[in-house]
Amino acid sequence: MGMLNLILANVSRKPATRLYPFEIRAPFEEFKGRIVFNPENCILCGICQKKCPPDAIKVTKDEKKWELNVFRCIMCTECVTGCPKDCIIISNERAKTGAKEYIKILVPKVDTPKAAPPK
Amino acid sequence: MTTIIPFGPQHPVLPEPVSLKLEIDNDVVVGALPSLGYVHRGLEKFVDTKDYNQTTYICERICGICSAIHGITYTRAVEKLFDVEIPERGQYLRVIFSELNRIHSHLLWLGLFADGFGFESLFYECWKYRETVLDVLERTTGNRVIHSCSKVGGASKDLTKEHIDLILKMCDTVEPQVKDLEKVFVNNYSVKQRLVGLATMSKQLAYEAGTVGPTLRGSGNHSDLRESADWDIYKDLGFKAAVEKDGDCYARTKVRINELYESIKLVRNAISKMPNGEIATPIKGFPTGEAIMRAEQPRGEVIYYVKGKGTKNLERLKIRTPTFANIPSLLLTLPGIKLADVPIVVLTIDPCISCTER
Repeated sequence: MGMLNLILANVSRKPATRLYPFEIRAPFEEFKGRIVFNPENCILCGICQKKCPPDAIKVTKDEKKWELNVFRCIMCTECVTGCPKDCIIISNERAKTGAKEYIKILVPKVDTPKAAPPK
Repeated sequence: MTTIIPFGPQHPVLPEPVSLKLEIDNDVVVGALPSLGYVHRGLEKFVDTKDYNQTTYICERICGICSAIHGITYTRAVEKLFDVEIPERGQYLRVIFSELNRIHSHLLWLGLFADGFGFESLFYECWKYRETVLDVLERTTGNRVIHSCSKVGGASKDLTKEHIDLILKMCDTVEPQVKDLEKVFVNNYSVKQRLVGLATMSKQLAYEAGTVGPTLRGSGNHSDLRESADWDIYKDLGFKAAVEKDGDCYARTKVRINELYESIKLVRNAISKMPNGEIATPIKGFPTGEAIMRAEQPRGEVIYYVKGKGTKNLERLKIRTPTFANIPSLLLTLPGIKLADVPIVVLTIDPCISCTER
């Protein structure tokens, strides 16, 4: 009897699956989709590079370049929590299929620590 | 005259590659010889190149199904080296995530098992219910299967009030669904015909073969590490191990269904008792000495051995996974059963091969 109820309920219910390419489920707000780097405040300290478990981030001070290997990134968010200037945030949008392997971003300016003004 | 036929490494019921050479005499198995090593990834050695905080992420990737418990056990082992006590809220969060993991792991296994004896609609039902658990895990931790919820010193994710409401709502929906599944698994005539009395292990034999987890408890052995001294917190949550006496495939299925109820109860109790406050303590320095930590995974007991020498990397990490302990029991139970029943018996130990080979 339980099985019959289930069958009848399933006949009237809409499908449990989605017609994927036409109907895409919006990602959850908390979903860790991809890393977004905002270069404005970056001081090229390299903490994200040191913390990154799969060595996906590479910071080159001389070239003022921040580089992320998207294929290596495991979305652990160590860089997000570790960044002292909050330059790295996590977005809930998935990286698109066929995205490039490397994201290379030039950091516009680096704040050099200034000497304290004389009293 | 006996014939040897290969079962695996590629077989419809096996999600991962394990090979069993079955010695067959007139459709009845006479002997079995397992061989492992198809998905070895060298993760234990890989630890040499990473610091002890980053190793948490490696340990979580040992297994795709019980990832949270792998990470939690590793962090507990390293905390033993540092001899630190983590905040109470962190401990409760670890319980919640590991029990949610157990719920989705057991629902996955029930589905695979149903598929193993040819009950496909039941397989889809189980996996449909599992999705609700996975959605909650995705909304609380950000990932479907690899949650990164634990770090050395506590938990890395906190639950907000909305998250807690989500989890409680999920518990309320999953519990009646598990009851529906239980009706089919326990009472259905054809399921009982396939499972009752199949591959029976006595209490003594299961103990001597060194089995762990539901395979051991299905034979009447009262052994669950959540009741051990390392996991005091489960005592406060009113945990009771699920034990069945019969020792056959049917009993092992019942153990896992009862564990689902137990896990739902633990999640509810942990949420109601969870105190406010810090979720992690900062840890400084490098680990020295050696420590062993044991934990109860969905598949049984996992053992972590860690050895530090005062540098940022661990000197040695050794893991004994539950499937490795359970495979020898197959050699004892397979002889005497029919070839058509081999997939069911292999599935009742809940083989997780990527775990075993690392």
